[in-house]
Amino acid sequence: MLSRVASHLYWMSRYLERAENMARILDVTQSLAMLDRSADSGGAMTPIVITEAQTEFAETKLPATYANVIAFLAWDKKHPSSIRNCFEATRENARAVRGSITSEMWENINDTWLAMQDKMQMIDPLMTGNEFFEWVKERSHLFRGVTFATARRDQPYHFTRLGTFIERADNTARILNVKYAEESPDTFDETEEDKETDYYRLSAVLRSVSALEAYRDTYRDVIDARRVAEIMIFDDKLPRSLRYCLDEATKCLDDLPKDSGRIPRRIASEINAKLRYGTVDEVFDYGLKRYLADFLVDMERLGTAVNTAYMELH
Amino acid sequence: MQAITPPPVSHFDEMLTWSGASPSHLQSQFQTQLQHFGGATLDAPPAGQSQSQSQSQTLGPREHYVPYGNWLADTPSASLTQRRAQADLLFRRIGITFTVYGEEGGTERLIPSDVIPRIITADEWAYLERGLTQRVTAINKFLADIYHDQAILKAGLIPREQIEGNSQFQTKMVGVKVPHGTYASITGVDIVRNNDGKYYVLEDNLRVPSGVSYMLMNRKMMMRLFPELFLRQTVRPVEHYPALLLQTLRESTDIDNPTVVLLTPGRFNSAYFEHTFLAQQMGVELVEGQDLFVKDDRVYMRTTSGSQRVDVMYRRLDDTFLDPLAFNPDSALGVPGLFQAYAKGNIVICNAIGTGVADDKSIYPYVPDMIKFYLNEEPILNNVQTYQCRKPADLSYVLANMKDLVVKEVHGAGGYGMLVGPASTAKEVEDFAAIVKANPSNYIAQPTLSLSSCPTFVESGIAPRHIDLRPFVLTGREVRMVPGGLTRVALREGSLVVNSSQGGGTKDTWVLGDSGETLAASPAKEGK
Repeated sequence: MLSRVASHLYWMSRYLERAENMARILDVTQSLAMLDRSADSGGAMTPIVITEAQTEFAETKLPATYANVIAFLAWDKKHPSSIRNCFEATRENARAVRGSITSEMWENINDTWLAMQDKMQMIDPLMTGNEFFEWVKERSHLFRGVTFATARRDQPYHFTRLGTFIERADNTARILNVKYAEESPDTFDETEEDKETDYYRLSAVLRSVSALEAYRDTYRDVIDARRVAEIMIFDDKLPRSLRYCLDEATKCLDDLPKDSGRIPRRIASEINAKLRYGTVDEVFDYGLKRYLADFLVDMERLGTAVNTAYMELH
Repeated sequence: MQAITPPPVSHFDEMLTWSGASPSHLQSQFQTQLQHFGGATLDAPPAGQSQSQSQSQTLGPREHYVPYGNWLADTPSASLTQRRAQADLLFRRIGITFTVYGEEGGTERLIPSDVIPRIITADEWAYLERGLTQRVTAINKFLADIYHDQAILKAGLIPREQIEGNSQFQTKMVGVKVPHGTYASITGVDIVRNNDGKYYVLEDNLRVPSGVSYMLMNRKMMMRLFPELFLRQTVRPVEHYPALLLQTLRESTDIDNPTVVLLTPGRFNSAYFEHTFLAQQMGVELVEGQDLFVKDDRVYMRTTSGSQRVDVMYRRLDDTFLDPLAFNPDSALGVPGLFQAYAKGNIVICNAIGTGVADDKSIYPYVPDMIKFYLNEEPILNNVQTYQCRKPADLSYVLANMKDLVVKEVHGAGGYGMLVGPASTAKEVEDFAAIVKANPSNYIAQPTLSLSSCPTFVESGIAPRHIDLRPFVLTGREVRMVPGGLTRVALREGSLVVNSSQGGGTKDTWVLGDSGETLAASPAKEGK
């Protein structure tokens, strides 16, 4: 399989996953906006911080209101990771290799982009609502479903999935990082009022990774910050947890050419081992913020190694 | 109800005829249906038609169009409108687009696909197929000859400077051995039908002819939207084109089980959809220049498990971009060192480098001579009468009759540097004559052809529009083609420009099974 094709497939699914994650973050942001009692709506900047878009947003010179932030992250043509641009990048990458994916996969992505263009005409960015975010998630779900149901389990399939899980792990770590790192140190001594707000914030975090039901099933107890971190980092059955993403990424790498993949496979196994054999107590002792920062650095190393091993045009 | 605009008498219409060519009972039958269908007044030619047409002449479908005509007349226009919309949606969804240059790095557009087919009888196709085989065979022999022995030049049939002074003649190719002497593996021959009812070859496209994917997609769309039509008549299939193409490419080398790739300039190229489509249909890698490299005069592609040798390349990139070391040094699309590998016989490139010299307008007039010289046969297909202004007798004829002729620059393309006599003022003709006189050898002239028309959906209903035909001829160990080709249609009224970038569309092209037998009994048969 051509290196360039592998690269396009990998980025195709990374961008699609990024679009979905952005929609998840914005959806939750919007519901939290309704709870935000502070006058300066400081929480509005959270999605900007999660996606590291501070510089790009500052350039717009817009006030940091919820509506402006959501419009920017969903639609802005100048922001490389806006949902609009992620969908376009997904489609452009797919178009470059449309011969290497099934026609159903291509038609699904092309349809998404065509519909997105209609939505750009129809939706007022400042009024972007839950319906749009649901649609974005649905398009992403549909593509994964089509891929699952139509693609041969050979290299294009494995590169497509690898992109999904590397992007998703990165994203889950960022959501967690902001929730815990911004608000307070890693100790949680909060007032009663804070705790009440926190309940909504924590359940919002869980909802953003579709883990609220899983949390209830697993703990059958009140929502507690430590357990939220535990399920999102270590749960081996939750499809958006770090552990699950790394399990899957490791499997994808195992199915790719082994000789050229030695280094990315080693790095993925190292990260995976930390998740497999770690506990939430260790994480909090070490410091959650530091732990997640390390994890993001590890993921960047993995991304670079994947690129060097399979996609660089030496 | 859709109204059908009848064709003017000055054109040959593929479907409808005013004359007695179709049996009278068919005429009256069809007319009844047409009136029922569109309410068009058809018993008299429209106002302004030539007087040669008598009031008694009526409009009817040609015999091979009767089953389709019946179907068209019977189908409610709402159903047609709905299915036309479905066709548009299908093309948009599948992303069958071409790129228009110049707007923000290229904008994707759809090529309009008309749902009224162009139908060719079995006998006519048999004739075209024979003629195309003969023509392409002779052109391949010509290319092998001019890059080696140059017998045709020695025999004095073509002046040496016509070849060696031609910018498309690749001097680097002289003496380079091309496997089996096949230079043009894929040829797209542009054919039109004039108002005399005869077919003429307008151009032989020997470089990187495109359009075959639209031929295939048109058929797929028609079969999906109008399955009942394919039960009425036997339409010969075209879907095996990619298989024939792959066979042709594999046969271009003597290596067993060769690795074949398709080289594209990339996704900003106007024909990118076609490149991806053909690569996918053939199951070969679609590569860009950056995916390939040359080492020790061998060509490799970069893959996720290391480098892999390439044996055959179907290139969709012009000669000059193929190798910056051998041709245009600024080309970022090609592969450095490719030519050297090619010249050593380590890779086959299809079409071969340097085929453009044979589809140049200055060489076109010699194709009938090539057929006689190499094959010792009479040409089957007609060339358009071409006057070469470098010959004194031709020049004086051209100067005297310029207002009736089309005068073209020999290396010109895209409608530049040419004069369409009938569409020009006396002043323009006079000015152009001065230009031709100053440099006669740079010009050729041809009579103005009147392209045949075919009923086509337009805003006002169904009206005649001019069409051409591009069959795709494959040369491997033998010459093969799928029946038909791409029919392009000029969608603007009166326009002769079928090019997709200038408002052209396409039609499905049907070649009927033997003698146009209809499967289902139709009333038309009863009269026989």
